[in-house]
Amino acid sequence: MSTCVWHRIALLLLAVVSLLSLAGTIAAKEIKLEAQLVWGTNDEKTDNAELKPVTAEVEKRLKSLPFKWQHYFEVKRKQFTVQHAKTQRINLSKDCVIEVKNLENDQVEVTLLGKGEVVGRIKQKLPDGETLVLGGNAANFTGWFVVLRPVK
Amino acid sequence: MKLEQVLKLQSYLDGEMPERERRDVAGWLDREPQARALFAELKTAREALTGNEPAPALPESREFYWSKIEREIARLEREPARAPRANLLAWLRRLLVPTAGVALLVLAASVFIWPSGAGRGAGAFESSMRDTGATTYRDHANGVTLVWLSYPATDHEVDYEAPPRATR
Amino acid sequence: MRANRNHSAADEPSLVKWSQRGDMLAFEELVARHRDKIYARAFTMMRNEEEALDLSQEAWIKGWQRLKQFQGDSSFGTWMTRIVINLCLDALRKRKRQMAESIEEMAEESGGVERHMPIEMGNPTAGLEREDLREKINEAFKHLSDAHRTVLILHEFDGLEYKQIAKVMKCSIGTVMSRLFYARRRMAALMTRWKREQEL
Repeated sequence: MSTCVWHRIALLLLAVVSLLSLAGTIAAKEIKLEAQLVWGTNDEKTDNAELKPVTAEVEKRLKSLPFKWQHYFEVKRKQFTVQHAKTQRINLSKDCVIEVKNLENDQVEVTLLGKGEVVGRIKQKLPDGETLVLGGNAANFTGWFVVLRPVK
Repeated sequence: MKLEQVLKLQSYLDGEMPERERRDVAGWLDREPQARALFAELKTAREALTGNEPAPALPESREFYWSKIEREIARLEREPARAPRANLLAWLRRLLVPTAGVALLVLAASVFIWPSGAGRGAGAFESSMRDTGATTYRDHANGVTLVWLSYPATDHEVDYEAPPRATR
Repeated sequence: MRANRNHSAADEPSLVKWSQRGDMLAFEELVARHRDKIYARAFTMMRNEEEALDLSQEAWIKGWQRLKQFQGDSSFGTWMTRIVINLCLDALRKRKRQMAESIEEMAEESGGVERHMPIEMGNPTAGLEREDLREKINEAFKHLSDAHRTVLILHEFDGLEYKQIAKVMKCSIGTVMSRLFYARRRMAALMTRWKREQEL
């Protein structure tokens, strides 16, 4: 083929790419997530009647991790939607807040705040089936967890 | 126990330690019950694996499995050697013109659709606190990523043994 | 004459010598004798039946092409195992480049969460029949990353030393030691948990 023909093909491809990128921007999607604040303990029961055991699915994921705790209780659960390039603030308790920003391609940026101070920030891909768990030690040899996963 | 110490314990178990250091570790094991417990755990894991490699059955018959190998060997032995390129200039012309088109395409893609701020991989932890001691862990089978934080700060290390039940 | 050779009754050195001289029937007999082991190794590393089949067959093809290089320093089975291991490692590296990068490397550098795992007392595999134990090990391998599983396979099943593993896996000896430590602790934790669940 002649050089002229190759140049025309390149220009055509350039036009197609530009159109596709525009379409991609318009179609950038919102993401629906569920955040749970969870308490891990070896006690079978708690004094706090408001705490319920976590669902079997969440329990399975937490028990797949190398922790010593036998029981997990749900402190709070919230489902929320985050628009593309926007941030949602979720209060999970008076001391525990997360801010979730929707980046592109199933990626989110999660900022964890403890007592109003930023504890950490993580960027994570969260396609269907993935779970992000943030955790740390709590009083009396128990543990706290923030479990974040996409929901339909 | 620090990572360096526990890895010495493992080297001792695996016979990968010089004799002089072996005596030090042996002494440590005599004195420290936690070290002995961890050593026993590592030894048990090692012994469970020795000679017990899983042996999944080949899901194809002998004849079928072999026929694919035989066919491929025969094909490779039949393949002629590639002829050398006769006209270097013509070859360069054939290569460079479409390459110029592809380069233009890549440039356009990088300007219009390259994602900004995309992470390098599945996750990258950034912390705004100095020396948080965060560690990460990944369970591939269940699709779980854990980020373990030293928050709130505690004045004790996580104990190796199961903690006593909290009194109420 | 080749047609009169009793390949199925021949010893391995003879089969190798005949194969090196182009006797395809002798090579077929070698494949028959070692295919299960080579396939099992590919499956244990790749955790995928289709990939394990492809890679084990590719290993046999490479084995045929390199037969003249086999000097008898090791057994034929060991030599073939090394070929399939290298093919699997190449495939795992390619797979890792294609997938999102694992953050386990961060955990390895920082010491990881495995130091904080409680020590499992007692022997969770005591009393298990060999087949049951192998099944449990196979199940536990699903919970390990490619890198952790590979280091365990090379050390526990192939008996390689740390520095040999480091060379094969193209990483430092320190990384080999950390991965082995983590993998063993994870196996212990899984076996103990399953035993506890069974007893309930």
